[in-house]
Amino acid sequence: MSTANPPSEQGLVEYRVARILEEANTDTRIVVLAKQDNALVTFPIWVGAAEGNAIKLALDGTITPRPMSHDLIKSFAEHLSVTIQRVVIADVKSSTYYATVYVTNKGVERKIDARPSDAISLALRAQCPIYITEDVLTRRSTTNLDAWLSKLEPKDIGTPEVQET
Amino acid sequence: MHIKGLMFDPYNNTYVVVLHDEKHSDMLPIWVGKSEAGSISMAMENVTPPRPMTHDFMHSFLDAYNAKVISVVITDLSEHTYFAKIHLMYEDSEYTVDARPSDAIALALRCNAPVFARDTVITKQNSEEFDQWLENLKPEDFGKLDS
Repeated sequence: MSTANPPSEQGLVEYRVARILEEANTDTRIVVLAKQDNALVTFPIWVGAAEGNAIKLALDGTITPRPMSHDLIKSFAEHLSVTIQRVVIADVKSSTYYATVYVTNKGVERKIDARPSDAISLALRAQCPIYITEDVLTRRSTTNLDAWLSKLEPKDIGTPEVQET
Repeated sequence: MHIKGLMFDPYNNTYVVVLHDEKHSDMLPIWVGKSEAGSISMAMENVTPPRPMTHDFMHSFLDAYNAKVISVVITDLSEHTYFAKIHLMYEDSEYTVDARPSDAIALALRCNAPVFARDTVITKQNSEEFDQWLENLKPEDFGKLDS
C-alpha cells in the first residue's frame, strides 16, 4: 500500500498491521506492525483493550451496526472532502509513542497529533499507509517487550496466536 | 439535554450517562462502554490528557478545518440501542453525520455544543428498561453518581 506521492519527510519506513495479540488477564492488546517489505521485521505497540478492539474490527473488515469512533472520523473526513494521506509514528518518550495524522484538502496538507492506536485505527479504515520514522525505530522502547518476555513461561511458547491475518 | 452525571451500572457491568432536560422533568439514561465513559468523564472534568484521546483527536480534526459542531441529537432508540446525529457547519453548509450517542456526547462536551434528544426517544425510553433498572438499584449504588 504505497502512496503515489512519497512523503516529504525523510527517513520513513512503511509498516502494516500484522496482527493483534491479546494479553491474558490484562486490559491491554499488542498491535504487531510488520515492515511492509519484510514481514519478519516487526514492531509491537501496547494499546488499551478498547483501542485494540477498534483496530481489530478494522483489520477484520467487520461492519458494525453503528459507526464506531474511527468510522465517525472517517465519515467527517468524507463530508469535509478531506483525504487522510498517511499516519506516522513520529516520536517515543518514556516508552510512550506519539503519532501524527497527515490530512489534505484542496491541496493543503495539515498534520494532527494522535495516539498511535487512533492513527492506526484510522489508517486501516482510510486505507492509507502507516510509517514509522527511522528515529523511532532506533530509539524504540523495549521496556514493555522485555517485561512481557520475562513473564512468559515455557508453556506460553507455541500457543496459537489470537488472530492471524 | 444536560449531562447530569455518569454512573457505573453494576448489573450490566457497564456505565450509564444520565441526561436530563432543563426542567429536570425528563431523564434519559444512555448505556455506554468503559472507554467511552472514560472519555466523557475526562471532558466533564476538563481533564487534559498528556496525549489526545480519540475524541480530542476528533475535535482537533474538525478544528483543523474550522468545522463547527452545532448540535448533537439523540434521534432514535431501537431494541435498547440509541442512535445519534451530529450536526456540523463547514464552509457555510450544514452536514449531518450518524454517530453513536457516546461519541456524539463526548464530542459535544469538547466543542461546547448542545445535546438534544427527540421527544420520541424519551417517550420510548420511559417504557423500556430504565424503571425496572432503577427499582433494582441499592442505596449504595447511588454514591457512585459522579456529577
